[in-house]
Amino acid sequence: MDEKNHNNLDELLDSANSLRWEVGGNLHEALMESIYADATRIADRVVTREGEHTRFDWERNLDRLLTSRWTGFPVMLLILAVVFWLTIAGANVPSAMLASLLIDMGHPFLKGLAAGMHMPWWLDGLLIDGVYLAAAWVIAVMLPPMAIFFPLFTLLEDFGYLPRVAFNLDNMFRKAGAHGKQALSMSMGYGCNAAGIIATRVIDSPRERLIAIITNNFALCNGRWPTQILIASLFIGAMAPPAVAGLVSAAAVVGITLFGVFLTFVTSWGLSRTVLRGQPSTFSLELPPYRPPRFWKTLYTSIIDRTLLVLWRAVVFAVPAGAAIWLLANLTMGDLSIAEHLINGMNPFALLIGLNGVILLAYIIAIPANEIVIPTILMLTILSAKVSGVGEGTGVMFELTDDEAYLKVFTAGGWTLLTAINLMLFSLVHNPCSTTIFTIYKETGSVKWTVIASLLPVVMGLVLCFFVAQFWYLFTG
Amino acid sequence: MLSPLTTLLIGFALLLALYLFLRPHKGYLWQWRRAWQNTGRALIENALKYLYDGEYKQLPCTLQSLSGGLSISAGRAIELLTRLEALDLVKSQGNTLQLTDEGRSYALRIIRIHRVWERYLADETGVPAPEWHAEAEQQEHKMTFGEANVLAAQLGNPLYDPHGDPIPTARGELPPSLGMPMTDLQKGQTAEVIHIEDEPEEIFAQLVAQGFDVGKHIHILDSSPVRVRFALDGEEQSLAPVFAVNVTVLALAEQKSEELSYPSLSELSPGESASVVSISRACRGVQRRRLMDLGVIAGTCIKAEMSSAAGDPTAYEIRGAIIALRKSQADLILVEK
Repeated sequence: MDEKNHNNLDELLDSANSLRWEVGGNLHEALMESIYADATRIADRVVTREGEHTRFDWERNLDRLLTSRWTGFPVMLLILAVVFWLTIAGANVPSAMLASLLIDMGHPFLKGLAAGMHMPWWLDGLLIDGVYLAAAWVIAVMLPPMAIFFPLFTLLEDFGYLPRVAFNLDNMFRKAGAHGKQALSMSMGYGCNAAGIIATRVIDSPRERLIAIITNNFALCNGRWPTQILIASLFIGAMAPPAVAGLVSAAAVVGITLFGVFLTFVTSWGLSRTVLRGQPSTFSLELPPYRPPRFWKTLYTSIIDRTLLVLWRAVVFAVPAGAAIWLLANLTMGDLSIAEHLINGMNPFALLIGLNGVILLAYIIAIPANEIVIPTILMLTILSAKVSGVGEGTGVMFELTDDEAYLKVFTAGGWTLLTAINLMLFSLVHNPCSTTIFTIYKETGSVKWTVIASLLPVVMGLVLCFFVAQFWYLFTG
Repeated sequence: MLSPLTTLLIGFALLLALYLFLRPHKGYLWQWRRAWQNTGRALIENALKYLYDGEYKQLPCTLQSLSGGLSISAGRAIELLTRLEALDLVKSQGNTLQLTDEGRSYALRIIRIHRVWERYLADETGVPAPEWHAEAEQQEHKMTFGEANVLAAQLGNPLYDPHGDPIPTARGELPPSLGMPMTDLQKGQTAEVIHIEDEPEEIFAQLVAQGFDVGKHIHILDSSPVRVRFALDGEEQSLAPVFAVNVTVLALAEQKSEELSYPSLSELSPGESASVVSISRACRGVQRRRLMDLGVIAGTCIKAEMSSAAGDPTAYEIRGAIIALRKSQADLILVEK
């Protein structure tokens, strides 16, 4: 009996299979169309609509203003400029307050407390000079700009403006093989690359999303702006007559930012034609109706979801880095600290690419956050060049208040104009910080793409610096 | 220390070497990989495929045509044939070569893997059309028959590969070959494209670039031994017969030929509306599903709202939502004003 049923089933399947050749390949589509048609017919019969839905006139006019050929781009640049200005201007005061509270007051206070408890010097150094200082630095530099930038951005998104930006810019991104919404994750990257990478979730096409993730690093983040501004004003602005020095150094920073945009497009173009060409790609962009933004809700979610999440990750990674920095500077092998051994070992290679061992070591141990790169460079420079009278002690990160003092330390470290230019380039084109790398892994769920996103920029940066340095040596003798 | 000039030269030389090595498809790395794979099992399987193809098209196969078809020397072809005969996959009858039953079913298994993989590449990945065939040529020797069946089930057991070739069923069944080469059509006839030969790649790439795709309709304006003039997508084009012969078509009755003159969605100017007739076959996989998810199906009314500051994309009102589509997508949606 079973045998017979089995035979019948086989026959049935056979005839079904041979009938499929006659039905044709788009059976599923025909089915779907008829379901849609049925649904529409039923809806027409039982749903009454009060008047036809139309878009309001003001919506149409606003769209015309924001997306037309003549006004679209100027309005966009204006709005972005205002957002950046509000962030920079607004973050200065709270950043300074946090820095004086956590670093200028908190650090000596904790040191005093530790001395009172008769804590051994190494434990006090490791915990307070290393771990505490790194975490405090990251919070003071990162928190205020993010707490201003992200809510502003989220408000624009909530209002419905950001999709219009993507709509306007899509043509440029399309030519590079990317998605217009990458403009949004890029802008978010100017605040923080980790947040920028989370923001790529809005890109629903797998290939374009990976492109946006891998190239987000070319958007200078919050932690790198201060480095660029400092180096530009110390070395590049100083070459110009004092009257225009400010303008020249600002132009240098804008130039490096634009170079980052250029690299974003070039890399997107390259990626979409090489490693990512097999990834599926599709495009659609919804332009939602304009809505009044829900101010408090936006403020709450952008501070909790974006700012605090990113800050927490950064602090978690900064803590071991602080410990590592302190240990490298304080543990000695023979006469020299481990840090000095490493610096001396890397110097020949570093000079080949126009940097120095201190900068390379700082970039390696300050992977957790770009914010602590300059303090680490300063600390390592005075350690290896034996500058006395500056800084807070071995392995303690610090910052200086005036340009003279910076220049004194950097000259002692043997810096030239080439070092400054290459540091600016390398700061733009190097591996993402560990918070960002971790975020990339969380977002892509793939070790392969995480490795590519981390190594591609650092290799590009090394190659770039190498050629700049060698041409420099060639022309300056 | 080395002089800057030396280091620069070394730097450039390294970059050049890296480029030559890794360059997609033409780089040494790829060439080695291909050469590595074009031995042993792969060669046997390619030979079986070639012989099966001849059988399907009813063309006799000889040792000479085999060595030509696989681009190997006559010496290697003889060696190969000896192995095939030893494995009882092929037998020689006089001058012509024939597959044994076992050889035929082996060939059909390889063809199934090849065509299922092409279908997969077309529907689920972003690999561009001219590369499907070459990728499948590699994959057919790596994938097992069982894996191909699992993949086919995931794809909904497709019947045809993206070039219009039927995919053999798991039991090795195939419908008889249909259609005729485009060059056989008379002036004034209209036909549906049912198959585009994927080899050689240069010809296939040219046909794809001209807009040929399975399911599209062509109208012959003039056909001579040196030139075929025809209308495709409402545009007048021409092809040399050496290209045209690679397109297989099925002639259509007169009344069905009206269909070819629908405008595409991208031709609407802002403010105009139209209803969807169909999405072109060239829009596949994820892209097609996305459009259908958005409600772009036959009968949907779409209104062009505005184009972006840069001209492309354009925003359309589709079922109450404003959705921006790129021109390349809107080109593939046929509408009726």
